[in-house]
Amino acid sequence: MKEKRMNPRKVSAVKDFICVVPVLIFLAIFTYYPIAELFRISFTDWNLLKDTWQYVGFKNWQWLFNGSGTRYLWNSLRVTVLYSIGELTVTIVGGMIFALIFNRMNKAFSAMRAIVFMPKYVAMSSAAVVFLWILNTDTGILNYLLSLVGISAVDWLGDRNTALISVLMLTGWRCIGYGMMVYLSAMMGISADYYEAASLDGASSFQKFVSITLPMLSPTTLFLFVTTFISSMKVFQSVDILTQGGPYRSTEVFVYNIYRYAMVDFRMDRAATVAIFFFVLLLLVTVATMKISNGRITYDS
Amino acid sequence: MRKKAALVLAAAMVVGMTAGCSGGGSTGKAAVNNADTAAENAGGAADTPAEEVSYEVTEPITITWWHALEEQYSDTVTEIVNDFNSSQDLITVEAEYVGSYSDVNEALVAAHAAGNGLPAITVANTPYVAEYGAGGLTEDLTPYIEASGYDIEDFGDGMVAAAQYDGKQVSLPFLISTQILFYNKDMVDAEGITLPSTWDEMDAFMEAATVKAADGSTERYATIIPGWDQWYFETFYLNQGVNIINEDQVTTDLDGETAVAIAGKLKEWCDNGYTYWTGTADDASSNMRSNFISGKALSVVHTTSLYNTYVDQCDFEIGMAWLPGGETKNQEIGGCVLLIPSKNDQATKNAAWQFMQYLCSKDVNMKWAEGTGYMPTRKSVLETEEGQAFLEQKPAFQAIFDNLDLINPRIQHSAWSQLSNIWKNAMAEMILENGDVQESMEQMSLEINDILSDS
Repeated sequence: MKEKRMNPRKVSAVKDFICVVPVLIFLAIFTYYPIAELFRISFTDWNLLKDTWQYVGFKNWQWLFNGSGTRYLWNSLRVTVLYSIGELTVTIVGGMIFALIFNRMNKAFSAMRAIVFMPKYVAMSSAAVVFLWILNTDTGILNYLLSLVGISAVDWLGDRNTALISVLMLTGWRCIGYGMMVYLSAMMGISADYYEAASLDGASSFQKFVSITLPMLSPTTLFLFVTTFISSMKVFQSVDILTQGGPYRSTEVFVYNIYRYAMVDFRMDRAATVAIFFFVLLLLVTVATMKISNGRITYDS
Repeated sequence: MRKKAALVLAAAMVVGMTAGCSGGGSTGKAAVNNADTAAENAGGAADTPAEEVSYEVTEPITITWWHALEEQYSDTVTEIVNDFNSSQDLITVEAEYVGSYSDVNEALVAAHAAGNGLPAITVANTPYVAEYGAGGLTEDLTPYIEASGYDIEDFGDGMVAAAQYDGKQVSLPFLISTQILFYNKDMVDAEGITLPSTWDEMDAFMEAATVKAADGSTERYATIIPGWDQWYFETFYLNQGVNIINEDQVTTDLDGETAVAIAGKLKEWCDNGYTYWTGTADDASSNMRSNFISGKALSVVHTTSLYNTYVDQCDFEIGMAWLPGGETKNQEIGGCVLLIPSKNDQATKNAAWQFMQYLCSKDVNMKWAEGTGYMPTRKSVLETEEGQAFLEQKPAFQAIFDNLDLINPRIQHSAWSQLSNIWKNAMAEMILENGDVQESMEQMSLEINDILSDS
């Protein structure tokens, strides 16, 4: 007679797996299946206006890489990268500076920290509408303030040179408090022993910052870099409300580009093709970031 | 249900990408490859009039009407809908303002793809007729017209044609306008300015009618040509023989010598300060209007439908002049048609048909014509004493009545709205950002050829 007994370790592994199954099913239905579908649609000519569609082979891919779509693909790639650099700079450099300034643990500073962090709680759509008013060429408060110091009105959202900067203003206003909070909590975690030892050796505050704080914050910086980079690549709402990708596609980030093909031109096939490309690109970038930064991070252990 | 799921998933594709969840989002399931539906939509009804379909309304029903008539028209809309609702017992119409013509387009196409949320009846800007007809979005009205003995012959010929696709009556003309040059009659008379009747006379007119300050800045523009809709400048090309879509249906002539020369002229006038390019921003139209109203522009090209609005807001007399022509002096129908989405059930369609007949009736049409600048659509008005009476009320419309035969249907192509977007954006970028004319028009034409051949 066979023993029905199983290795207890195996039993526990099966149990664990069963617990994860619902999540896997969820992911399969709402993430992996749609991605597979997206891939399939990119080989069709599905136009929302038409009731029928056919497979057209690599036509959409040819359009994207060697056709009239190419120009705008590179344009949106460029805009997205510029935007990402902007958001990363604000979140990491700005967040670090603010963290250093607000790193005082008393009531007044706690209130000020709350004020700086608050914008993160404001819905992006509402914030964007407020920025529409602030940035208005004729009636906006920003141009009014500039006029007080003798600078003539700037068409913030209507000029291709300033439109992306305007979008970044909104981003910066919203994100800097988040970067600050993340850095602050990390700074709390740095043992005071290091600073004491450094003081005994006569290190200046700048030296302490460069040799202790900065390296000890590197895991946090990596975390912020990766999460911010990926979320910034997917920016949409602020662009949609402030500029609709304009003027002349100068703020047409990747997701807006996809939106435009899908919901303005009704070309689901093209939208799917760009979306797949974007997905692969994002995947590669994420993997690369993780690979490169592994081993260059100082962990406090 | 499957199609509904399809659209939800399609939306998830975009939303997923945008909402910030990782992984790059999902996709839409393509509309099921449904040849049966397509065949049915493609006009099965028209081919089989013998089939027993009743077009009568027999039970009470509430239907929705989508329109794009802004605030200034809302009183008229309410009055007309109320009149209809109280004129009979069975049908209750609810009017819904959806937004601009392109908002209506987006909402309608999305609802059509989803297969639900469709209005019983909707307005549509004239250039969309072909797109909707080709996509099977619209109900062919021919059997309805036959069944109820509706007199379609009384509409102007061009208007009827503009509401057809591929010979099928997929819509009816509702609020019809055309392009026109509004001018400040007081200034023109006082200064003895001659309005241009051909494109060749434009140079002289632009220079003569512009007023410049000592420092070279413009105090008064000769005219303003809207750049937010290519409809306003496309006749200049058409009348000089440019084929916006060539006969092969897959290429454009907009990179040809004549087209580049016209675009160059438009840019040159802007560069010289005789006019300015409005661009495509939301406030472009209101800025242009206020320039004209305040006397900062001698004239503007705009749609006749705004005649009453201008008359109300200007403290000078408004003149209307036909646009300068070239080899021809044709103009195009603007405004909107009414159509019934094909995916509605028969009872809804029947009720919509009753309401459509009412909206397009002569009485309702004359209400619009008198209260706004939309044109009378009926031959029984245009060609009779009623028309003369109308002209006495609105003498400026003489320019239109003189040229009725020159008002043509729009160019019909299923990629037209994409083409027009590319065109107006390219014009704005070229003029406002000082691009090279030849290069811009060539690049633009490459893109247009691509969407024309792939639609």
